[in-house]
Amino acid sequence: MSETQVTSTLDTTGKCCPMPMVETNKAIKALAIGDVLEIIATDVGTRKDIPSWCERMGQSLLSMTEEGGVLRYHVRKNR
Amino acid sequence: MNSMAIVVRDDSYDKILTPLAFAYLTASEGTQVDMLFVNWAVKALTAEGAAALRIDGQHAAEEAMVREGVAKAGLPPEVYDIIKALKGTGCVNFYACSLAGAIFGVNEGNLIPEAEGIVGAAWFLNEKAAKADHYQYF
Repeated sequence: MSETQVTSTLDTTGKCCPMPMVETNKAIKALAIGDVLEIIATDVGTRKDIPSWCERMGQSLLSMTEEGGVLRYHVRKNR
Repeated sequence: MNSMAIVVRDDSYDKILTPLAFAYLTASEGTQVDMLFVNWAVKALTAEGAAALRIDGQHAAEEAMVREGVAKAGLPPEVYDIIKALKGTGCVNFYACSLAGAIFGVNEGNLIPEAEGIVGAAWFLNEKAAKADHYQYF
């Protein structure tokens, strides 16, 4: 479990591409620079989608964990 | 990627989902997406035509399962509602091909308000597809 201070949590459990990424884009826009978004997902496509999205969008992927089919990402908003 | 152009030809419910999903993905990142609907797919840009989209061919009997899967994935199961969601991103433009409109019965009278209008393919290919960072054809 990460000790990162989470600002906001987005739960996309059960949803599949494109919705986890569509909702992640919306959620990050609502945050301030430096805030940390926690994304919970069950779509295995996010294993690659979210790290590459972070790189492309200039955000920082602080952690990525997987337990019992639930993926949890912590993303710090940089821009 | 700043811009993407998509030509949509296939009009069955299942096959039109992919270009719409790709457009939704990229538009949510702020990419400008221009979509030209040609052939039978032009009817998806009418309320009646969008509602009438079905799965055809060998997978026709599996339509209920597909629609349920679409809803579970988080997308609206109705194509018109997906179009509205895409329009809501502010980054997607829908165009009806004028030839397809003339052949398949789509005109300015029945075009959905979310569509930009009826355009010639030459304009779309030169002004949108050729200038886009990425171009797809479905």
